[in-house]
Amino acid sequence: MSKFSTLIFISGLSFLLIVITAQLPIAHPPMLIGQYIIDHAVQDTGVTNIVTSVVLAYRGLDTLGELAILFTAASGVGLLLSNKLNTKLQPSTKTVRLSNSNFIIEHALNLLFPLLLVVGFYVIFHGHLTPGGGFQGGVIIASAFFLNILAKPYKSSDSEIESTHNNLTIIESLSGVTFIAIGLYALISGHDFLEPFLSHGQLGSLWSAGTLPFLYIAVGLKVGAELSSLLITLYDIDSEELTD
Amino acid sequence: MTHFANYLTTYLTTEIILYTGAIGLLVIGLLGLLVLKNIFRLLLSLVIFESGANLFLVLSGFRANGIAPILTSTQENMSQLVMNDPVPQALVLTAIVIGVGIQALALSLIIKIYQRYRTLDMNEIHRKLEQDIAGISQSTPLASQEQPLYLYQKNSLVQNNEGEK
Amino acid sequence: MKMLSLLVVLPLIGAFLIPAIARISVSIAKFIGPLILLYLLSITMPAFMELQSGQSSAIHFAGFLPPYGIAFYIDELSLLFANIILIAFLMVWPWNKNNFSDNHSEIREYSLYLLLLAASSGLVLSSDLFNLYVFYELLAVASYGLIAKQPKIEGIASAASFRYLLLSASGSVLLLLGIALIYSLTGTLNIAHLSSVANESLNTFAGVAAFLLILIGIGVKAEMFPVNSWVPEVYGVISRPLSALFAGLISKIAVLFIAKVLLMVYQQDSILTMILFIGVLGVLTGELIAYRARDMVRMLSFSSIAQLGLVFTALAIPGKTGLYIAVAFMLHHLVVKSALFFLSEKMHSNHEHLKGLYHQSPFIVILFIFLILSLLGIPPFPGFWIKLNLVLNLSTITYGNVAIAIVLLATVIEAAYLFTLVKKMLANDESNKQIAYQTGYQSSYLFAVLLAIILLVSTFNISSLSKSIENMANNTN
Repeated sequence: MSKFSTLIFISGLSFLLIVITAQLPIAHPPMLIGQYIIDHAVQDTGVTNIVTSVVLAYRGLDTLGELAILFTAASGVGLLLSNKLNTKLQPSTKTVRLSNSNFIIEHALNLLFPLLLVVGFYVIFHGHLTPGGGFQGGVIIASAFFLNILAKPYKSSDSEIESTHNNLTIIESLSGVTFIAIGLYALISGHDFLEPFLSHGQLGSLWSAGTLPFLYIAVGLKVGAELSSLLITLYDIDSEELTD
Repeated sequence: MTHFANYLTTYLTTEIILYTGAIGLLVIGLLGLLVLKNIFRLLLSLVIFESGANLFLVLSGFRANGIAPILTSTQENMSQLVMNDPVPQALVLTAIVIGVGIQALALSLIIKIYQRYRTLDMNEIHRKLEQDIAGISQSTPLASQEQPLYLYQKNSLVQNNEGEK
Repeated sequence: MKMLSLLVVLPLIGAFLIPAIARISVSIAKFIGPLILLYLLSITMPAFMELQSGQSSAIHFAGFLPPYGIAFYIDELSLLFANIILIAFLMVWPWNKNNFSDNHSEIREYSLYLLLLAASSGLVLSSDLFNLYVFYELLAVASYGLIAKQPKIEGIASAASFRYLLLSASGSVLLLLGIALIYSLTGTLNIAHLSSVANESLNTFAGVAAFLLILIGIGVKAEMFPVNSWVPEVYGVISRPLSALFAGLISKIAVLFIAKVLLMVYQQDSILTMILFIGVLGVLTGELIAYRARDMVRMLSFSSIAQLGLVFTALAIPGKTGLYIAVAFMLHHLVVKSALFFLSEKMHSNHEHLKGLYHQSPFIVILFIFLILSLLGIPPFPGFWIKLNLVLNLSTITYGNVAIAIVLLATVIEAAYLFTLVKKMLANDESNKQIAYQTGYQSSYLFAVLLAIILLVSTFNISSLSKSIENMANNTN
């Protein structure tokens, strides 16, 4: 009975959504701020990918908030699942449950790993020129490291995981601080927080768009480190703990 | 037949299909949140719900015959280009990353819940949670309590003993 | 003025740095948070004092003028709340935490507090709809982590946190959908800019639907009527100082978000009537469930739902008057409810075990009675004047008389259960003496006394205080 009423509720809701959508100016948006940004972004910030100018300049504070959310989530996951690391006294459990991966997987990994890193960094460095940027590149880099864990599970001993955690913590801290420091430098030198400085350079070249590429590198490193540490922490849970 | 094809191309435009998809995702996600009981499936429904909202958001910048807001060397006359609104694209990028963070945190919460309650059924977890909270308030306030956790589980301990008998 | 953007930026940089510094020295990392709080207080306090009445300014980000860039809007009200946030965080800062395990992940709890601080400040100051959404999510994610991280009862706390997460995250999706609708209709996100185009574009069915979505979305945090099932569960598992923070401060910040959108963009009769009904239902359900509650935390949490219902009822009064009463209610509830949560750490949670508390510790009971008298609205305490103002103004609007009747009825119910509890505390019961009084943290007790003193002082300065709040509300735009 309750499922039936849910169904009625849902069909009513979808009808409402359709009615609302029908009222929207579909395909002809008002673009009160969008048109201004399209017209001015190139001379304001010196990018060719206009979305980048919105992400890092016009709405840079949103991006900072978003980095903070990712950091918060990683902190929360670390905080919640850290108990296992404290109590881990028997290092033997790790080797028992993991089987060796085979020759093909390992060599495919050796081929893919550097490729993924190169693609990731390329996407980050060209964020202000072509589609892509810090978030996308960061995710690609994180996937490279996670592929590494998936293919060679037996090689990651506790001390290795501990040192990986150490390195990731330092990368995520420093990249976040770099992003804010670039913004603070503008604030201290009398501009607004996160205001782009440095010259715009030649439009379309790699060294252009002032500080925006540096911000995107910080974003990319932060996203990569954050996602890697999330995945490693989630991976690191003993599967024995979850089974009776 | 050609009449039907004409009809389709006039009324079934890209944006209509995409908006239908967005509404569909929203409805499927909400239905899952209301009907399902397994907490992992609830999380997946939330993800679907969220992607519906994201699709809706990015569609708000869609223009008929618009192109991606990126300059390329082949474009000649800047002022005659019809570009899609770049703002929703930036917003949706932010929203997607926020969603990823929430999902990761929710996953680790599910792991914690499973370690404590040994079940993924929402009704059962809710029932046991209410019992546990009542147990906490029967004892001392949280900040000063020093007893180990099993004191709260009196009910479950009793049940175990009975099972042994 | 530009330095006020540090209110968001400094906590973030502190939160990012803490885990890295903890690898070098835990004791340095522990001091980062309090130092940042004190430094920010030294910026906001003078800024608040210097801000002339009626003066306001905007902080731009990245050098772009609004509506193209993001802007923080600074007026008396937002600066007042910025100060309150800093003081509240100084109170609930986990000072007592001393033992850290060797892997340093525990130190991240300080990061979460700082992130919560940044999100709260951002929510109070920002005037851009999507930026508000981002800070709202930051607030939400940080609170999921803090709720789940309760020593010794992590499993239970995780379950409460997850149930909260499902509700709150669905609310966030609705909020995002509402923002998407508004952007589709108007093509702008700046609230001031929206208010100038609202009459043409948002006066439609879709525009009202967008507001409803936003209202339900933020209502989760604001403990609004239909979406507050998380309240007793979460307050039942978290520590009392954290409850004081959530019930006292975080819910008010969410209400401020709603008030911003309501006042600036949606001053339509139908919406105001809807808010009135939601508020009145919240008052009634909250008080009724609190009446049946048999333990302290549950009672306080449902009473806080009812009080926030009163805030929504006040927002239903059109224009600046509604804002004035709502702000007065918020400030009053912030002081009283935080004090009650701090004080409850010294008491046994179960009502039956509270018998004879007066003979154990008379001062606590006197403090408790003083706080609930103001909460109920008994003259001459501040609560009375606010409720009087609400009732007088409600009589002028549609359905106002129904609302007055329900508010008064709810007050009677509230009085019934609170006085029953007081009677139990005053009873002479030898058997309970040992457990009624608890040795909680002394700092919580101190903060409860401090907040009670603030309430007492404001009782004597009620006329000048109400005048300044009214001015503040009038000057907000």
